[in-house]
Amino acid sequence: MLLLLAALSLIVYGTIRRALFAQFDAGLESTAQLIAAVIGQDVDEVELGLEVQQMPEFRDITHEAYFQLWGPDEVVWAKSPTLRTEDLWRIGDNAASPVFTDWHDRGGRPLRAIGLRFVARPADKDGKPPPKMSPTTMRLTVARDATELHSQLRFLQWLLLMASAGVTALSLFIAAVVVRHGLAPLTAIAAQIEAIRADDLTARIEARHTPSEIAPIKDRLNDLLQRLQASFQREQRFTADVAHELRTPLAGLRSTMEVTLLRSRESREYQTVLSDCLGIVQNMQTMVNNLLMLARLEAHQITLRRDRILLADLVDTCWRPFAEPARQRQITFESTLSDDLTCLCDLDNLSMVVSNLLANASEYTDNGGRIRVVAQATAGHAELTIANTGCSLTQEQIAQVFDCFWRGDSSRRDGGLHCGLGLALVQRLMTALGGSATAELQAGGIFAVRLDLGPCATERR
Amino acid sequence: MRLLLVEDYRPLRESLTKGLRETGFAVDSTGDGAEGLWYARSNDYDVIILDLMLPGLDGLSIIKKLRAEGRQSHVLILTAKDTVDDRITGLDLGADDYMVKPFAFQELLARVRALLRRSYRTKNPLLEVGDLRIDLAVQRVWRDGAEIGLTPREYALLEYLAVRAGQVVSRTDIWEHVYEFNSSASSNVVDVYIGYLRKKIDRPDRSPLINTIRGRGYMLGAEPC
Repeated sequence: MLLLLAALSLIVYGTIRRALFAQFDAGLESTAQLIAAVIGQDVDEVELGLEVQQMPEFRDITHEAYFQLWGPDEVVWAKSPTLRTEDLWRIGDNAASPVFTDWHDRGGRPLRAIGLRFVARPADKDGKPPPKMSPTTMRLTVARDATELHSQLRFLQWLLLMASAGVTALSLFIAAVVVRHGLAPLTAIAAQIEAIRADDLTARIEARHTPSEIAPIKDRLNDLLQRLQASFQREQRFTADVAHELRTPLAGLRSTMEVTLLRSRESREYQTVLSDCLGIVQNMQTMVNNLLMLARLEAHQITLRRDRILLADLVDTCWRPFAEPARQRQITFESTLSDDLTCLCDLDNLSMVVSNLLANASEYTDNGGRIRVVAQATAGHAELTIANTGCSLTQEQIAQVFDCFWRGDSSRRDGGLHCGLGLALVQRLMTALGGSATAELQAGGIFAVRLDLGPCATERR
Repeated sequence: MRLLLVEDYRPLRESLTKGLRETGFAVDSTGDGAEGLWYARSNDYDVIILDLMLPGLDGLSIIKKLRAEGRQSHVLILTAKDTVDDRITGLDLGADDYMVKPFAFQELLARVRALLRRSYRTKNPLLEVGDLRIDLAVQRVWRDGAEIGLTPREYALLEYLAVRAGQVVSRTDIWEHVYEFNSSASSNVVDVYIGYLRKKIDRPDRSPLINTIRGRGYMLGAEPC
C-alpha cells in the first residue's frame, strides 16, 4: 500500500511539475518569439534595447526577466540592463531551437531560460523598402527568475510528502485498531484457554460476541476439551476402580490375619489361614499383572512374535490348571479341535487369551455344566469359540462383558475372587494380535466368546 | 448381641464372622444381597454390617427397604467406595456408620460396640447393676471387685441382660439377640445358660441379681417398683 501511495504521489508530482514548467516555458517562449519578431522588423540595436525594455515581461519586478541577443560572430547585440556585466547562457550552433535550460546566476538564484536561433530579415521601415542586407542568424536567450517556480515545486513536494506520511500514519493507526478489534475475540479465547487448569477440565470457552469466523475455532476447542474431559474421567474412573478392586482383597487379607492373631491357635488353623491368604495374594497378583498388561497394550508396548501354534495343544495346555476344580464340580470339558489346525500368532499372548477365557468359563459354568471349545478354519483365518453353560446374563449385559471391572453380579461365584479384568484383557489382546473377540448369548443359557484369529495364516499340515 | 454380616467377598466374610463370633457376638452371615434382606427382615439384629456392592441386591437398596419398613437395626456400611459422596449417600439413606475397606478389625469391633451402646441408650461402656460391674469394651465382669470368669456365651447373655437392666427380657428377645440363626441350640438353651450365669454371679449371702419373672422372662437387678 505504501508503494502504491509513493507511486501515486510521484505521478501527481510529475504531472503538476510538467504543467508548471509548461506554463513557465510557454511564457518564456512567447516573450522570446515576441523579441524575435521585433528584431525581425527592426535591427537597430538601441531602439531594440529600449523597445524590449518597454515590454511588460521585463518590467515586472516579481518576475524578473532578462534577455540577451547575439548577432553573428557571437557579438552581443543587446542585453537587459539589469544583467549588467553578467552574460546569459547562449544556445549552441547545433542545438535544436528553441531549447530550455536551468541554471543559477552568480547570486545563486535559479533561472530558467529559453535559447532561440532565428534569422532576422530587415522589414519595411515606414513604408520604405528595407536596406539591402543579407539575412543574419541571431541568437536570443530569454531568462526568468524561477525562484517562485522552484519554491512552488518544493511546496508541492512537501505537501505530497506530508500527505503521504499522514495517510500512512492514519492507515497504520486504523489498521492497528481494526486488527485489535478483529482479534479481540481471539484474545478473549486465549485468556480463557490460559485460565483452564489441568485439574479442572469442566471449563468451556464461552464467547458471547464471537464473530462467525471464529465460532468454529471455539466450537472445535470446546469439542477438544469435551473429549479430553471424557478421557480424563474415564482415566479417573479406571483408577478408582483399580483402587476399589485392590481394597477388597486387601481388606480380606488384613481381616483374616488380624482375626487369626486375636488369640493363639493350633497349627492346622494357621495353615488354613496362610493358604487362604496365599490364594488372595495370587488373585491380587493376577489382577496386577492384568493391569500392567492392559497398560502396556494401551501404550503399544508389547512386542509380538509369530509362532506356529497348534491350536489343539494350546487349548489342552491352557485347560490343565482348571481341569481338577472343574471335575470336582462335575463340569464336562469338550474340545473338538482337529490335530492339524495351526495358526501363526504370538504364543504367549494367545495363551493368555485362551487361559483367561477358560478361567472365566470354569468359574461361571453351573455345577454339572459343560464347556465346549470348537475351532474352524475358513479362507485363511481361524476362529476359536469357547462356550459354557450356566449363563444368566441378559443381552444388554453381554454387551458390557468386555468393559474393565464389569462383572455379571448375579452370576458371581467364589466370593468375587475375580476382579473383572479378564475379558477386558482378552478383547484388547485380540485387537493387538490383529484379530477380534466377540461375545454372544446362545439359546439355553450358553455364553460363548468367539475369537477371530484374523489374518493369522492357517494351514493344514 | 446379634449381628448380621452381608459381604460377598468370601475371605472377608469368613474371617469377620469368625472374629466377631470369637468376640462373643452371635453372627449370621451371607454373601448375597437378597438373602441378606431376608435375614434382616426375619430377625431383629442389633447391628447389620453391610457391603454395598452385592450380588442379588445392592446394599443401598437393602437399607432403603429396611428403613421404609421401619426396622430400627443399626447399619454399618462396609465398602471399598470411599468418596465423600458415597459416604453421604449411605448415611443419608439411613445407615448409622461407614467404614472403608481395608480397615482394622479392632476398629470395626469398637464401632459395633458404639452402635450397640446407642441401641441400648447407654453412653457409658461401664455398666453397674448393684455391685456387679461389666466393662463392655474389654468384656470383663466383676462383683464386689472380684473378677468373674465367663465363657463368651455366658458373657453375651449377661451383657444383653445388663444393657436392659431393670427391664423384663423375654426368652424370645434373648433368643433373637444372643443366638445365631442356624445355631443348633434348642429353645431351652436360654434357661440352661441362665442357670450357668446364676451359679457364677449370684451369691448365697446376697439377694439374687438375675430374677425370673414368671411367664414373662428374666430381669437383671432389682424389680421395678
